[in-house]
Formats: sequence, C-alpha cells, structure tokens
Amino acid sequence: MKLLLRDAGIGIALLLLILFFALTADHFLSPNNISNILTQITINLILAIGMTFVILIGGIDLSVGSMLAFCAVVGGSVLTIPDLSVFQAVSLATVAAVGTGALCGFLNGWISAFWGLPSFIVTLGMLNIARGAALQVTDARTIYSFPPSFNAFGSQMIYGVPVVFLIALALVGIAWFVLSRTVFGRLLYGIGNNEEAVRLAGHSLMIYKIAAFTIAGVLVGIAAIVYMARLNIASPIIGIGFELNAIAAVIIGGTSLSGGRGSVIGTLLGACIIGVLANGLILFGLSDFMRQLITGVVIILAVIVDKYRERITAA
Amino acid sequence: MNTNLAHADSAPNPATAPLLELHDIRKRFGGTVALAGVTLSIAPGEVHGLIGENGAGKSTLIKVLCGIVKPDSGVIALAGEAYSPHSPRDAKARGVQVVHQEFNLLPFLSVAENIFIEHLPRNALGVVKRRDMNTRARAALDAIGLKDIDVRWPVERLGIAHRQLVEVARALMTESRVLILDEPTATLTSRETERLFAIIDDLRRRGVSIIFVSHHLDEVFRLCDRVTVLRNGETVTSRRIGATTQDELVRAMVGQQLQKEMTHSIESSARSETVLSLVNFRHTESPHEDGVSFDLHKGEILGIAGLVGSGRTELLRAIFAAEPPLSGTLLRDGKPMSLRSPRDAIRAGIGFVTEDRKEEGLILSMPIAANVTMASLADVSRHGLLDQRAENALTEKLGVDLKLKYGGPGKNASTLSGGNQQKVVLAKWLARKPEILLLDEPTRGVDVGAKAEIYALIRRLAERGLALLVVSSELPELMTLCDRIMVMSQHRIVGSLRRADFSEEKILTYAYQGEKRQTGH
Repeated sequence: MKLLLRDAGIGIALLLLILFFALTADHFLSPNNISNILTQITINLILAIGMTFVILIGGIDLSVGSMLAFCAVVGGSVLTIPDLSVFQAVSLATVAAVGTGALCGFLNGWISAFWGLPSFIVTLGMLNIARGAALQVTDARTIYSFPPSFNAFGSQMIYGVPVVFLIALALVGIAWFVLSRTVFGRLLYGIGNNEEAVRLAGHSLMIYKIAAFTIAGVLVGIAAIVYMARLNIASPIIGIGFELNAIAAVIIGGTSLSGGRGSVIGTLLGACIIGVLANGLILFGLSDFMRQLITGVVIILAVIVDKYRERITAA
Repeated sequence: MNTNLAHADSAPNPATAPLLELHDIRKRFGGTVALAGVTLSIAPGEVHGLIGENGAGKSTLIKVLCGIVKPDSGVIALAGEAYSPHSPRDAKARGVQVVHQEFNLLPFLSVAENIFIEHLPRNALGVVKRRDMNTRARAALDAIGLKDIDVRWPVERLGIAHRQLVEVARALMTESRVLILDEPTATLTSRETERLFAIIDDLRRRGVSIIFVSHHLDEVFRLCDRVTVLRNGETVTSRRIGATTQDELVRAMVGQQLQKEMTHSIESSARSETVLSLVNFRHTESPHEDGVSFDLHKGEILGIAGLVGSGRTELLRAIFAAEPPLSGTLLRDGKPMSLRSPRDAIRAGIGFVTEDRKEEGLILSMPIAANVTMASLADVSRHGLLDQRAENALTEKLGVDLKLKYGGPGKNASTLSGGNQQKVVLAKWLARKPEILLLDEPTRGVDVGAKAEIYALIRRLAERGLALLVVSSELPELMTLCDRIMVMSQHRIVGSLRRADFSEEKILTYAYQGEKRQTGH
C-alpha cells in the first residue's frame, strides 16, 4: 500500500514534468519525439532494473557501465563470427553477453558476501577489471558489421513504440513480480532492512546477496545486446558513467540507498523522469553541460523529498 | 545556591526548596508511550533513587534531562527557572550531567584525552598541552581511587569497571548541580562500588543533587534519601527512604496485575524426556575448556540467571548457532547434532527470541505479516510464490492466540507498542511449531499488561510440551516462571536451584560468588 503511494507521488512528478514540456517546448509530444525519448530511456532502464535489486539489499554496483562494454565486445565478437546463420549468431551472442554479465555479477556478489566486503569497493574493482578486459580482448578496437536484420531489430517500432523499450517494460514487469510476489523478493527486502533478523530466521544471506548481484549482471548482458542492436557497434569504451545514471534512476524512483525500501515501478518512473528531462532540455536548446547540471539538481531534490516523506511516514 | 549552611539551617525553606522539579513529563515514540506523566522533585544535596523495571521509562527520562530527547509535554524547573535543554551540551552548561553506562568513551584515545574531551587544555596556538592534561587527569583519577591506571593508556586497555569509573571522573571534571548516575554499579565489583559511594557522599555534602538509577534495592536503601518508582512511564510513588520497605517498592514496581500473575502458584509441567543436552558446550568467548553442561526437559521452563556479562546471551546464541559453538556436544532428543547456522538450529526445532528485538528480532519497516512468517515462508508459499492470503490467515490466527493488538497484518511492525512487537517475535517462532524455545530477556521494554500475558503464554507453551530456556536479568521474572534456575557467572554454571529453593538471595549469592572468584586471582 505504502509503496504504491510512494510510486504515485513520483508518477505525479513525472506527469507534471511532461505537462511542463508539452506546454513550453515545441514538438515535445510529437510521435517522433516520444519514440525518441523511449529509445533513449531503454538502456538506462534495463541497467536500473538490475541496480534496483542490488540497492534494495543495501548494496551498490558501480561496475555496470564497464560491464556493459565487456558484455558488448564479447557478444559482438560472437555475433561477427563468420559462417554462422543469423539465428545462430544472434542466439549465441545473446548467451555470451548475458553469460558474461552473469559471471561478473556473480563475482561481485560472491566476493562481497563471502569476505564481508562493502560492495562499493568490490564493484569499484570490477569497474576497472571489466573495462580492462574489454579493452584487452578487442585490443581497443571497435567491432561492427553485424547482421543487417539484427541492426534493423534495434530500430524496429510497433505503433511508434520501440521494440527494445517494450522489452525493457517486460523486464520491469518480471522484476516487479519477483520482488513483490515471491519469497525471494520478500527476503531481499528483509535483508536490506535488517540482515541479522533475516539470518536468525534461518535464511542464508550469501545466496540472496549473490543472486541480487548476478541478476544485475544478467540485465547488463541484456542491455549490451540491446545497445549493439541500436547503435550497430560494440566498442570497449562504451558505457562510461552509465552506472551513475542507473543509480540516479533508482534513487529518483524512491528506492532508499540504505536498502530495504523502494520498488522497480519507481525505478521505471525514475528512468522516465531522467529521459524526459534530458529530452525536454535539448528541445529548449540548452547545452549538454546545462543538461547535466540540471539532472544533478534533480537527483539531490529527489533525495531531499524522499527524506521528508520518510519523516512524515515515521511520525 | 550560594546559601551557606548556617543560613540554610535557620531558614528551612531554601534548603528544602527543590533544585530540580519535573511535572507531568510525557513522551511518545511512534506507537510506544515511553513517558506517561513523570513527576518528581529533588532537593539540593539529595541523593534520589530512581527505580523501575526495564522499560519503565528510566532511560527516556534521563535522556530528557540531559537534552537528548525532547518531551512532548510537561514542565521542568531547575533552581526555579524553566529548564528545557536542547542538547547534552546545553544541559551541561546548566549544570546537569549524566554518567552513562560505560559506552560513551572513545576507545582509541587515552584515558586523559577522554576525561578532557570536551575542553582539552590548549596553548595559544590551539595545540593540546599534553603534559598539563595528563597531570590534571592523574589528579582526577587519584581523587576517585584509580591509582593503578596510567592516564596515557588508551581506554580500550581498561576493563569495563574501570571504564565506568573513568566516566565518573570525566563527569566530575565540571562542576554540576545535578549528577545523574545511570546504573553505575552494574559493572563494578564491591570494592569499586564502595569507592563510588564515598564519592557520592562527598558530592552530597557539597550540595550536588544526585539521581541514582539502580536495579539493586539494597544500594538504594544504603545511599538514597528518597526514592521514586516508575512504572509504564509514570511516577507510581515517591517516598522518603525511611518511610518505605523493599517489599513495598517491589510491589510498586511490578504493579497489581503482575503481582497476581507472580503469586499465582504453578504446577510444573516438566516431563522426564530430555529434549536438549549440552555436554562441555563451549561458545567462542568462553574462557573455560569444560564449557557448560545441562539438560533441558520436555515441558520444562529452565531459567538462566546471572550478572550482565556472565555469558548468558552468548550461550543462547551458541545453542542457536548464531555464532557456531567452539567445542562440546549438543544432543537433541539424545542424538548428537552439529548445528552450524541458525538454519540448522531451526530445522532441529529450536526457536530463538533475541534480547534485542529491534536489531535482531524484527524488521520494523516491514508489515506485521511479513515479520510473523519470516521463519516459516515455506508454509505460506508455493514454488517460491507467496500466498498472501495464507500469510494473513496465519498472522491473524497467531494474533488471536497471542492477544496481539494491531491494526492489521499489512501494517508495519513499527506501529506496534513494545509488548505487541515482542508478541510478533514470539508469533514468528510459534509459526514454526518449535519444540525448544530460547528466550533472551523476553519482557524487556514491555509494559506490565503485556508482560503478564507473555508469562501466561510461556506457561501455556510449557504445558503443551515445549521446552523453554529463559534468560532474564529480572529475578522476580525467573522466580515466577521457572521450574529450575541455573546461575551463570564468568561463562560457567555456578549453581542450580529447584523451585522449592528459589530466593533472590541464593541466586545473587551464586552470581556474586563467581565474580569474586574471578577478581580474587
């Protein structure tokens, strides 16, 4: 109940933002621009879904940007193996990218849970490891010339809605179900709130912590495939700073950085707010620099609002 | 307060005019009423005992007086002026000081630095005058009889009793009008306690008013001029010490309802089958190779008494494998078992109501139903999917059983009062249908009504054949509930009493005997 109310508040903020740009910026509501926004949101949204799992257990994953590059170059290398049919190439590339993400995520979770290390540090290490690995395996070269049908998939629309965005929405749905309707989700919330109570109730913390990070890794792998399909390249230098956008979407979406509170619906709204804001400001003709500045202000405002809301519900 | 003694004698009024007066102080935290109308007054130079059971509101009251907690309503006057401190610093400036239980020292700083932490002596450049500081700290420690401690040692090198005395020394560095001592003797041995009492007598002669919070009634009778009893956050009575007796105070502390529950004589439902045996069982902090050994029987309520730090909680945690034990054997229904995590313990039919409900027992910001089912999720789910209806049904069923007062299974646990929170913790374990329940301070921070209900519940469980192992610092609680009480001291079982032999005196004799043996060598 309470979670729904929180999400409603963020939803209203998003609607107000949309209303504001609709009234002030030309072409904001044009079908083209809307598809544009949805396409731009997609990658960040997929990453942010995974980040929600990690932040809910009180962790953080700084490595998703680098992992995106690593997954992409692994997937891209498989995709460009000669003599494979398109179907074979795409399925193998997907397995490779998702597998790479899952492995990196597993390592993040296992190392931090097994040795009791803060995930901030472990994933900071992984940030460098994954980036280094991506550069190493490609020798810093960009991979391109993917199958044309794969590239076409990236820009395919259904009634003006990008297919890749629909994939992201489906992932939101699955994540929502897992978090709110399963024992697994219940325990993730429990761990984020009070780890010791969950442990003393007979649950192994390690499994759940590793799972949360692995899920984040899997989503990075999926995001990597979507990224390649959209931009038709896989480069070891993509994704720099993406982790911060993903974290921002989660936080603006009302998930508490200390864990245990929040929802993936909030994350969806948070990612939309960031996307709409960026797009609207571009339509205003503001520079990229100003855009960044304003996004930063919004993040801080979101956290302040959240703090107040917390106090009100506590009282 | 500069009236000289002669003057004070000739005119009784100023001397008896209270220095500190509290009128109808109230405070709520969320759904919990911490203070429900505390009224008391203290004359200059008076030593005023403040007693009450755990959760009666003593700590909250102290926090109000030293500016950590702001009361919701009520008036405090200090020397006739309104007093509402907004920070401990502010309270100190007005002359009100608290000696907390040992935790307020900075472990890695030296004893001298800790004593002077609030106003380190500095030269013109702001550099600490170390030698000056050490000399003055030396004098301060000598004054309270801590001659064998080097002021340059880091506090972490000191034992708990010495830390407590360093706290006292720190408080004495500033002149105060009101000094509040929060359970100052809990960690002291008898020699140090004597020393502390001498210091208190000295302060009293200098006109300092002292609030002395203690669980030990004999200390209160020795030291205090007057005593106030709190119960459920309310002042029950305020008496001159000469005009009351220990019995009267105990009655005032526990109240009528509990009184009835306590005098209620019970039939033991202990049976002959042993459900749990420990043989030379040793937890990780136990200094003794032979550990502890005892048997727990079906339907038995076995109490563990002992001073704070005697190893009671550690023992329960080791049985539950919250911290896996170091060595020894645990037999469950006669079969040796190696429990390596709480998960194993729960599978072996053991439940554990922890001492610290907020940190270990409950997830306050999650719904009551989620808390109740936390240890039995398999029963309210199918293939990993939660069945909310089953979850709510289980919660409501246990809610009726335990007389839980709550807004609904979907409300957060934080909305409940202390007693009802504790019932949720109990419900969590009862949902697992355990055969053995470990209870660590089961009624801490619980109001009297709920306490009586929890006692009745514990008895009912024993009748159903559950074996209960109860740790409590409240002797009346153990003596009311248990079939048998073991006394722990220094991580060892030093005595065991059957119900017919129960007396506070015997239990305390055992508890302190162990202490003395320790300090002897």
